[in-house]
Amino acid sequence: MIDARNLTVSLSGKTIVHSVSLTAKAGEITAIVGPNGSGKTTTMKAIAGELPSKGEITLNGHDIRALEPWQLAVKRAVLPQAAAIAFPFTVREIVRLGLTVGPNRHAERIDAITSEALAAVDLGGFAGRFYQELSGGEQQRVQVARVLSQIWEPVLDGEPCFLMLDEPVSALDIRHQLTIMQLARRYCEGGGGVIAVMHDLNLTAMFADHMVMMKNGSVAHAGRPADVMTDDAMEAVFGCRMRINGVPGPGVPFVLPHTASY
Amino acid sequence: MSLNDALRNSAHGSRLMRTARPRAEGDRSAVARLTLVVLVGLSLIALALSIATGASDASALRVIGALLGGTEDTVLSMRDRIIVLDIRMPRALLGFLIGAALAMSGAVMQGLFRNPLADPGLVGISSGSALGAVLMIVLGASVPAGLMASLGAFTLPAAAFVGGLLTTLLLYRIATRGGQTSVATMLLAGIAISALAGAVTGILIYMADDKQLRDITFWGLGSLSGMTWTKVAAAAPIILLALVVVPFLSRGLNAITLGEAAAFHMGVKVQRLKYTAIVAVAGAVGASVAVSGGIGFVGIVVPHLLRLVIGPDHRYLLPASALLGGVLLLGADMLARTIVAPAEVPIGIITALAGAPFFLWVLLRHRGRNGW
Repeated sequence: MIDARNLTVSLSGKTIVHSVSLTAKAGEITAIVGPNGSGKTTTMKAIAGELPSKGEITLNGHDIRALEPWQLAVKRAVLPQAAAIAFPFTVREIVRLGLTVGPNRHAERIDAITSEALAAVDLGGFAGRFYQELSGGEQQRVQVARVLSQIWEPVLDGEPCFLMLDEPVSALDIRHQLTIMQLARRYCEGGGGVIAVMHDLNLTAMFADHMVMMKNGSVAHAGRPADVMTDDAMEAVFGCRMRINGVPGPGVPFVLPHTASY
Repeated sequence: MSLNDALRNSAHGSRLMRTARPRAEGDRSAVARLTLVVLVGLSLIALALSIATGASDASALRVIGALLGGTEDTVLSMRDRIIVLDIRMPRALLGFLIGAALAMSGAVMQGLFRNPLADPGLVGISSGSALGAVLMIVLGASVPAGLMASLGAFTLPAAAFVGGLLTTLLLYRIATRGGQTSVATMLLAGIAISALAGAVTGILIYMADDKQLRDITFWGLGSLSGMTWTKVAAAAPIILLALVVVPFLSRGLNAITLGEAAAFHMGVKVQRLKYTAIVAVAGAVGASVAVSGGIGFVGIVVPHLLRLVIGPDHRYLLPASALLGGVLLLGADMLARTIVAPAEVPIGIITALAGAPFFLWVLLRHRGRNGW
């Protein structure tokens, strides 16, 4: 379990996150949603231990600030928003970078896990390609594979591991959005946990077990998507009036991921 | 293996031979290991050639034969002995170490700053080291005699070391804000610091006497001539220490290519990595510049060339850079002392003459592809 209590983050003198409390349980996808600049990514970075913050953050009961980087790295992996790489790595080499800590850093396991992780993000056969020559969406899936391979076993030494994904589907086509979300769900079914910063409210409604809506650096609503996603909450947080489960009038087609089958 | 399998294998033998090559697709570690083996061989050859050849006809084989206690010790072989043991050998060893230090430092800087253009020479470290050394040449007389005596042959390398270290730390402090290092700031600050060091060096040159001027000119052009065992003793330990420490940073440097935050997420102690890398680079480059002066382009061309062949994995890139850097510098040195023999061309001229056009060629070939 990841538990943050009264988390406050200031960046260059400005308070970005005000006293946020959130809990991410093993076996659940916890989605953080909210408008741009609401503090979603900052909250995630603080929980990852990357940004200095005030308040209490525990990972499986351990204070994250007391853990060494490698101790954190075997229990949680972080997918940042798109990152540029200056050197000509192949896809396999990028994924393998995730395997430098933990029980899977041994040579005989690396190749197998790398290939499985790539297959899991639908990039089987891409191992020999150069990262720079891939499309943005493909690069994003390579990064998901790297992060996944870092904590390949959802449960390690009896403790759950956590995937922290910052907008994991932002550059993906609809089918691969579903691929990645299903991957996250399988990770939870295996006993791990997932925290994801999301912009797609439909995918959030479909996949999230717990949903945290942020606005102006604070938690506006939290709970199950079915409870949190109300017309009033949407308007209050996102600043536009929308009807939950409302069907648009004729003339303009609409398509929802809920209906996908493949 | 069943008979059927055996038959099928022989029928597709040629295809098997081709697919047996890499362990897994996209894995260049087999190529990298082979490259390392080849480079070790080349290094030995370069060292041997460098000791065996020179302006005089002294025969290394005969000297070694005499050393091993076989042949007669005539006056002629005494001269040969001095040429081989006290002139060529320290020169070959130190030349190799300096090439290794410069190339590996280039690879470390490029990895640390996630920029293929970072180079100790381009970002002002070399000029900081040179300033330290020039300062010692010109103002050395006013250093307390006791300190001079106790440091002895180490005075110059020590000054260059301190100069390089201070410049590096200053540069890093300027380019780093809130834990994030800005590449643009680093390059611009490096240019500014180079200019500043150049200006201070200019003042010192203005103050210098004739002998000091000659010593200073030696720095600017770079040369491996005049290497002695004393210089080896002064510079080699620092360079060797850096050459031993830096490969331990490989995994951290690999992780940091995805960014400092990502490296932390993957379990790297980022701050410790940065400081270790910087101190090692400053030490290696400082000691190298101290004994050889400014030798450009090794640090940028060698890692670049190797990345094209073995990829950017630092576990292979760092040792391969060191070996190839040593080989290339010895090659350049052999050219430098033979093309106009018995005179010598400063080696800095050779590396720039060969390195700059090569670098341009690589640039043009890979123009348009982002990230190399």
